[in-house]
Amino acid sequence: MQKKVLFVCMLSFMMLTTASCTTSRSAITDAHDQTDTFEGYNRAMFKFNYEFDKYILKPLAEGYRDITTPYIRRRVSTAIANLKEPLYATNNLLQGEFKNSGISIFRFAINSTLGLVGMYDVAEGWGFPRKQAGFDSTLAKWCVKDGPYIILPIFGPSTPRAAVSMALDSAFNPLYWATYNDANVHDKVMYSYAIVSGVATRESVMDVWNDLESNSVDFYAAMRSAYLQNRGQNGCYNNNQENTQAAYDFDFGLEDEDEIYNEMENK
Amino acid sequence: MKKTFLMILASALFMHTAQAQAAVDAQKAETFVVQVTENGITDIINANISQAEKDKRFAKLFNNALDLDFIGQFVLGRYWRTATPQQRTDFIDAYRALNIKTWSQRFDEFKGKEFIFKGTTPSKSANQIFVNSVVPMEQGEPAKVVWRVKQTGDKFKIVDIIIENVSLAITARNEYTAYIKNNPGGIDALIKDLQRKSK
Repeated sequence: MQKKVLFVCMLSFMMLTTASCTTSRSAITDAHDQTDTFEGYNRAMFKFNYEFDKYILKPLAEGYRDITTPYIRRRVSTAIANLKEPLYATNNLLQGEFKNSGISIFRFAINSTLGLVGMYDVAEGWGFPRKQAGFDSTLAKWCVKDGPYIILPIFGPSTPRAAVSMALDSAFNPLYWATYNDANVHDKVMYSYAIVSGVATRESVMDVWNDLESNSVDFYAAMRSAYLQNRGQNGCYNNNQENTQAAYDFDFGLEDEDEIYNEMENK
Repeated sequence: MKKTFLMILASALFMHTAQAQAAVDAQKAETFVVQVTENGITDIINANISQAEKDKRFAKLFNNALDLDFIGQFVLGRYWRTATPQQRTDFIDAYRALNIKTWSQRFDEFKGKEFIFKGTTPSKSANQIFVNSVVPMEQGEPAKVVWRVKQTGDKFKIVDIIIENVSLAITARNEYTAYIKNNPGGIDALIKDLQRKSK
C-alpha cells in the first residue's frame, strides 16, 4: 500500500514537471477551451472506467442505497468526513489559515468523542462548520500549475496536481497511521476504507450523475467541462483579486465570442 | 498632440467602463431572479397540482425567465456562424426542449430548499450582471448558485446559471462543440441527438 502511494506520487510528480513546461495556458482558459492533450488515451480510459462503474461501482452504490436509509448514509458520510479533519487542519495551516486550522483540530477532537467516532457533527451545531482544505487547494494557492486533464484508471477525472494531492491527502488519514505497525490489519483497514468511501461517494453523486449522463450527447466532454470548471475556483495566492466570475467574463469576451456577442447584440 | 491622444484614450476607457457598469440596474436584476425562484417554488414545487400541470407551468416559467435564443447562440459557439437559419432554429428548439425536460425532472429535488440571495457582482459583458445566491444543504457548506442576468430595456432575462462554479452554458458549449468536431454528421447529427434525448 505504502509503495503504491509512493509510486503514484512519483509518477504524478514526473507528469507535473513535464506538464508545467509544456502548458502555458492558464487553467481558466483550459476550462473554456478544453485543452485536452491526451484526449485519445483519456477517452479510452473513460470508457474503461464507465464499464467498471456500470458493472461494479454503480451496482454497489445502488445496493448501498437500497439497504440503508438517508439517516444512516448521513452518519456514514459524516464519519468519513471526520477522518479528513487532520488533513484539513494541516492544509489550513499550510495556507496560512490558522484559525481554520484550529477549528479543524477542535472539530476532530469533539466529533470523534462526543460525536460518536464522527457520526454526528456536534461541532457544527456549536457554530464551528467544516473548513475544507486539501493538498490540491494548498498547491493551487502555492501557484502550482494544474497540468493537463487526465483520466486515471478507476479514480476517473484528474490532473497531475489533483493526482499528487489525492495521494498526499490519503496519507493524512488517521486510519493510515493508527494501523501502521501491523501490516496485515493496515492493508485490510485501508482497503475497506477505500471501498466504503468510494461506494458512499458514488451513492451521493448518483442523481447528478444520472442526469448528466442521460441528458448529454457526449458524456465525456460534459464531464470534462464540469470537472475543469469546478477546479478553476482555486486561485493562486498572488492572484486573489481575479475571482472566477471575472475570469469567466474574460472568457465570454474571447476572440470570436466577442464578435458573436456583438452580432447577437446588434440584431 | 500628446494631450489630445491621452484625452481620447481616457474617454475611451471611461466610456468602456461606463457602458458595462451603468447599463444594468443591479437592484432590479436581483429582484427579478428572486421573483423567478419564488414563482418556481410556490407555483410549481410546492403547488398541489398534477405532474402534467407542473410541467406546463415549468415550461412557461422557463421560457419567460431564460433567454434561450441568446444562450443557444453562445452554446453553439463558432458553429453558430456557419449554421443555416434552419439549423439555428432547429438547434434552439431542440436545446430548449431538452433543457425543459431536464429541469422539470430535477425541479422536485428542490423541495424544502430555499435560495438565500447575496447581492450582485458586475460583469464585463455589456448589459449583464451576476446575481449571487446560496442554497443551504443538509450537510456541509451551502451550494453556490450564481445567475447571469441580461437587461434589455427594462426587461430582464437569465442567460446562464453557474452552480458551484460550473456554468451550464459553458458546459453545454464545450460538450456540443466537441460533439460537432468529432462527429461527421456535424450540427445536423447534434440536433437529431438532442431531439432524441428530449423525447
